[in-house]
Amino acid sequence: MTWHVAEEDLRAYAQGELAAPMLWSADTHLTACAECRARLAAVGDPVALDAGWERLDAELDAPRPGLLEGLLLRLGVAGHTARLLTATPVLRRSWLLAVAFVLGLTVLAVYLVDEPALFLALAPLLPLAGVALSYGPGLDPTYEIAVVAPMHGFRLLMVRTVAVLTAGLVLNGLATLALPEYGLLALTWLLPALALTATGLALMPRLGPVLAPVLVGGAWLTLLALAKRHTHGTLVPFTTAGQSAAAALAVLAALLLFQARDRFDARPTGGFADGGAA
Amino acid sequence: MTTGPLNDPASGPTTVSATGLTLRYGGTRALDAVSLELTRGVTGLLGPNGAGKTSLLRVLATAVPPDSGAFTVLGHDPSTTKGRLAARRTLGYLPQTPGFHPDFTAFAFVDYVAILKELTDRAARHREVRRVLEAVDLEDVRGKRIKRLSGGMRQRVALAAALVGDPEFLVLDEPTVGLDPEQRMRFRELVAEAGEGRTVLLSTHQTEDVAMLCHRVVVLTHGRVRFDGTPAELTARAAGRVWVSAQRDPGALAGWRTGTGTFRNIGEPPTGADLLEPTLEDGYLLALDGESTEVTA
Repeated sequence: MTWHVAEEDLRAYAQGELAAPMLWSADTHLTACAECRARLAAVGDPVALDAGWERLDAELDAPRPGLLEGLLLRLGVAGHTARLLTATPVLRRSWLLAVAFVLGLTVLAVYLVDEPALFLALAPLLPLAGVALSYGPGLDPTYEIAVVAPMHGFRLLMVRTVAVLTAGLVLNGLATLALPEYGLLALTWLLPALALTATGLALMPRLGPVLAPVLVGGAWLTLLALAKRHTHGTLVPFTTAGQSAAAALAVLAALLLFQARDRFDARPTGGFADGGAA
Repeated sequence: MTTGPLNDPASGPTTVSATGLTLRYGGTRALDAVSLELTRGVTGLLGPNGAGKTSLLRVLATAVPPDSGAFTVLGHDPSTTKGRLAARRTLGYLPQTPGFHPDFTAFAFVDYVAILKELTDRAARHREVRRVLEAVDLEDVRGKRIKRLSGGMRQRVALAAALVGDPEFLVLDEPTVGLDPEQRMRFRELVAEAGEGRTVLLSTHQTEDVAMLCHRVVVLTHGRVRFDGTPAELTARAAGRVWVSAQRDPGALAGWRTGTGTFRNIGEPPTGADLLEPTLEDGYLLALDGESTEVTA
């Protein structure tokens, strides 16, 4: 053992005052290190020590955080929020790899045909799809349990949306870095991405978790197809006017979404996995 | 039966009360003006497939709002935002097909459900998760991934998740399906234990579950309540209406050849018939009244 819990941390630990994440490191270390346990016994008063042992005991059972959960904890995300995020289906490594793969292919295609619109059309759809897939009966196996849990459905949705959106935007951003020759134009997916995601979510309580994002995605592709027909230069959504419209839509949809927040709780957004009543 | 004399469930106060619950989906009425009152102890909900058992449990568990009708859970009205939240805080729900994150361990899964139930303090939550895993006898496999557990163990993990946070109202949707007799017996013990001091609504199509566990039974067909009373009352309905004959009796509502070669019939017996002691199953079949042909649970 090369590392030991510092004297003052041990004292704080014994008094129950050591804060996370140091607390967890100390918990984990103490289970394995007899030397530190002996030192802990020396610094602590017996009552606080008992509480410490009890916590240690509970710690022995605690699931060891996975890669993603560990990362979130290190970023300062609260433990319970990190666990909620870990259960988000689309944050699994396989999903993220699939998204990265699609983005890679698209960037390659942009290089081959010198057509940035390919990337700009796809990039806003990925966060929309990710968010749509992270809350609903289709992919969340514990959906029915989550629906009746006291935690507000909207809160769970937002926690996951923020996480999925962040992951999606980071991946998109990395792809953008691979397209430096297009300058700022390569970043014009960002506002449409926010607009599509917010609109898809705002329509979800009314149209369900499948129809809402499909309609929004379809509308986006239709808009691009129409723009392609009528313009030869930069497509409308990626011009200043288009970007302003996207920003306005994102804000409007976010407001509508907030207003409809209780509807995510009152009624499941789209049946159950077995096709039962909703 | 399983409830002690100290809290005689039949006379206890009403904890869950529903009137006129109706739920439609597609063109069918899954629930048709269902009214019932639950008290503490285990109430069994019997009915053939498609009778509306799951729909009723989903409504009472606040997973789906009814199209019409009203209900309260421990005095809370789930049709309001506040009441729904209050009702959900008293609720433990084991859905018919409880989903799992297969990569979670038993501990992590129950821990996750505990978080959804607003137990955010890490140490207190972990204590509670350990308590319920011990209660369902899974403390030895708590670190195992759920995909490595047997069907019976998974069902117990789901029960532990329903029990976490010590809910006062437990809704269990066919929890004994797919369990072998020994697992079923063990599971019944757990449900009986859970029913002490709690309101438990257990849907099943095993009349044995009801006979062994429930102080009360509700029979549902076509979304309607056909019977509501004690298991003894349901059995008594078949008194004088079960008889044995050497040949299939065409007048019987249902009849089958038993292992001894004679026929066991239920329905209106012919005069002079050789009557048998009825079972709960006989009473149940009579309550269904030949409405459904698929009554052999």
